[in-house]
Amino acid sequence: MISCFPYRYPLYQIGNPQLRIFRPPFSLTLVRPGKEQPQDTVQFRIPMEMTKCDVRNYLEKIYNVPVGAVRTRIQYCTNKKRNHLNQKVKRPDYKVAYVQLAQQQTFEFPDIFTEKDVKSAEGSVEEMQEKFMEDEKQRQKPDLRRGGVTEWFGL
Amino acid sequence: MAATSVGRVLTLCRQFQNAFRISTSLAVQQSALTLTKSQSYLDRLTYPLLSSNWHCHVGQCRPLHTTISRRGLEGFFDIPENWGEATVKSGAPWTAKQLRTKSNEDLHKLWYVLLKEKNMLLTIEQESKRQRIQMPSPERLKKIERSMKRLDTVVKEREDALRLLQTGQERARPGAWRKDIFGRVYWYRFREHALPWYMNKRYKRKRFYTPLFVTPHIRLRLEKHLRAKTRIQNKEREKQTVLQEKFPQIKAQSS
Repeated sequence: MISCFPYRYPLYQIGNPQLRIFRPPFSLTLVRPGKEQPQDTVQFRIPMEMTKCDVRNYLEKIYNVPVGAVRTRIQYCTNKKRNHLNQKVKRPDYKVAYVQLAQQQTFEFPDIFTEKDVKSAEGSVEEMQEKFMEDEKQRQKPDLRRGGVTEWFGL
Repeated sequence: MAATSVGRVLTLCRQFQNAFRISTSLAVQQSALTLTKSQSYLDRLTYPLLSSNWHCHVGQCRPLHTTISRRGLEGFFDIPENWGEATVKSGAPWTAKQLRTKSNEDLHKLWYVLLKEKNMLLTIEQESKRQRIQMPSPERLKKIERSMKRLDTVVKEREDALRLLQTGQERARPGAWRKDIFGRVYWYRFREHALPWYMNKRYKRKRFYTPLFVTPHIRLRLEKHLRAKTRIQNKEREKQTVLQEKFPQIKAQSS
């Protein structure tokens, strides 16, 4: 119900009904693992308030991902760096979750930023510009007949 | 009060879960379709992420087929056509006025659509930082955050109205007017505790009364505040008299 920041879990005492969070205020970030992880492990950065059960329910209900095991750790980030006023600047801490998929599924972090080959249309301005640039580069290259010797050595 | 609203929300949640269960059974029958794809596809058609001119044209919608190994986790990434693009087109964020026209079920579903989009954008942002490349269209994050905030505002308005009508309570979270150590009166919002207050040592250290030696300082603070206030008023009055002398034709400003 209270989906604002910072989110506090309501107090639980024995006999209370199961806590249900409508409109979860948590957002996960899928990250590429820094160290080599097994094929079925997916690495997330999660907000500090989330627990392993939360992560499991989140992925199962919202993304329909079969989750086997979840392990979390808190990454402490430095308070040592200083800004231009020589004040200590804290890099915020974050929680990392290692999620193992069930049903022997695998996940490999894809390469998102592959450069696409752009071929400009024929007769357009860009094509003429590219051709001009290529010609210029050809002219700048040294004479191949000199066998790699620079032009400083006369003749 | 709480029962009916909670009950209503529970029915929403149940309907939502029913929708999921129904679409899972469909997916079992048709192996090509997966749950999240169909659900997100429907969501993108019926409840667009951004209110107008969004890029969900026929050619750019997410494909309905997917490999079984990455089922569901593809929600964390953009559609493959947008990988490697410098900019990705996106429309305007949702305004509060538009959101107020939607029903509770629609808002509930929209929240999840926005949440999944936010996760996707955060993933792309982190990956771009990792690869030291500029993230394509970072303004999408701000748009999503604003939309979610406005959605939250609208839902809170509706909850407030319901609570006022049913119980007459103005605030959802109980509280009281209390005096802190410095003699200032403020609205203290109650917290949930497992113990009664007289057994809570940390709570008792926070004193909600003013010790006797503080009372002279309260008077001094009040005098300082009044002095500052009169100073501002006098300055304003002097400014008006100066202006009247210089420009007699101007009508005197009513304070």
